[in-house]
Amino acid sequence: MHIPDGYLDLWVAVLCVLLAGAALAYATRRADGDLTGERAPLVGIVAAGIFAAQMLNWPIPGGTSAHFVGGAFAAILLGPYLGALCVATVVTIQALVFGDGGLVVLGANVLNMAVVEVGVGYAVYRLLAGRGEFLAAFMAGWLGVTAGALAAAVQLGASSAFAYELWTVVAIMGVGHLVLGLVEGAITAVVYRYVADARPDVLAARARGVRA
Amino acid sequence: MSASDTADGLSAADAPWLRKGLLAVLALVVLSPAFAWAAGEVGYAEPLENAAEATGAPEHADPINPGLFPDYGVTGLGPLSGTLVSGLVGAGLTLGAAWLWGRALAD
Repeated sequence: MHIPDGYLDLWVAVLCVLLAGAALAYATRRADGDLTGERAPLVGIVAAGIFAAQMLNWPIPGGTSAHFVGGAFAAILLGPYLGALCVATVVTIQALVFGDGGLVVLGANVLNMAVVEVGVGYAVYRLLAGRGEFLAAFMAGWLGVTAGALAAAVQLGASSAFAYELWTVVAIMGVGHLVLGLVEGAITAVVYRYVADARPDVLAARARGVRA
Repeated sequence: MSASDTADGLSAADAPWLRKGLLAVLALVVLSPAFAWAAGEVGYAEPLENAAEATGAPEHADPINPGLFPDYGVTGLGPLSGTLVSGLVGAGLTLGAAWLWGRALAD
């Protein structure tokens, strides 16, 4: 889902920088009250874990692949603000050090994975947690990554490199991630269950009053 | 800070949990070369790449920054060991960066 340089029109890239910058500035301000000294190392562990997990491309016969993005997981574990900052850190290091995702389009990649996926994932989790936290985590991962992909598809489909074929891009990326997102949902739910059993006190969503 | 806290502000109860977390990250990184090999075997492509092919976008790709470790490889190393080194470097950088801003926000 990492957009390389050259794929987005400049105005789209600039708009994404502005939106992502505003969202991260807001997240930083809100997260300032969320974080205690005890949870600061947890942020580093979660971010490093997301980076490492994104390196695991699950090959799917037929020529496609999926990898865990982790936006919804970060949001459930840390809350939407710290979660967004965590994923933004991962996406930025991937672009700067590994050339995975472009520099001009960094704002778009941050917007899609750190803002849209995290935000939608967290909202879905909060909405469904009352029906079962495992199911809520699964749906958060699944729909969060699909929403991030759709955001990327709209940006790409509005750009000349993709011949402004908005619906073609939305169809390919939307359907693709709707299917591949099942892996994201499954991993999110399984890891969530493990963390919830081992250390329920670190779950931000529970601290905010979500109960099964 | 209580008597059981460490200099990082961690309680003694957090130490095993953090150690497990670091080991889990290390395990993921160690596994990454195997996944890279398997994904290469099936000639994988992400949906974004499929959409690009369908619309003729690849000719517009214009990488500005290949990065120090392009495509998670290391010059002079094979693809598997390069992936492993890239994973260790990337996970370490990410851990350090997030830990630092986490501490800054917590202060």
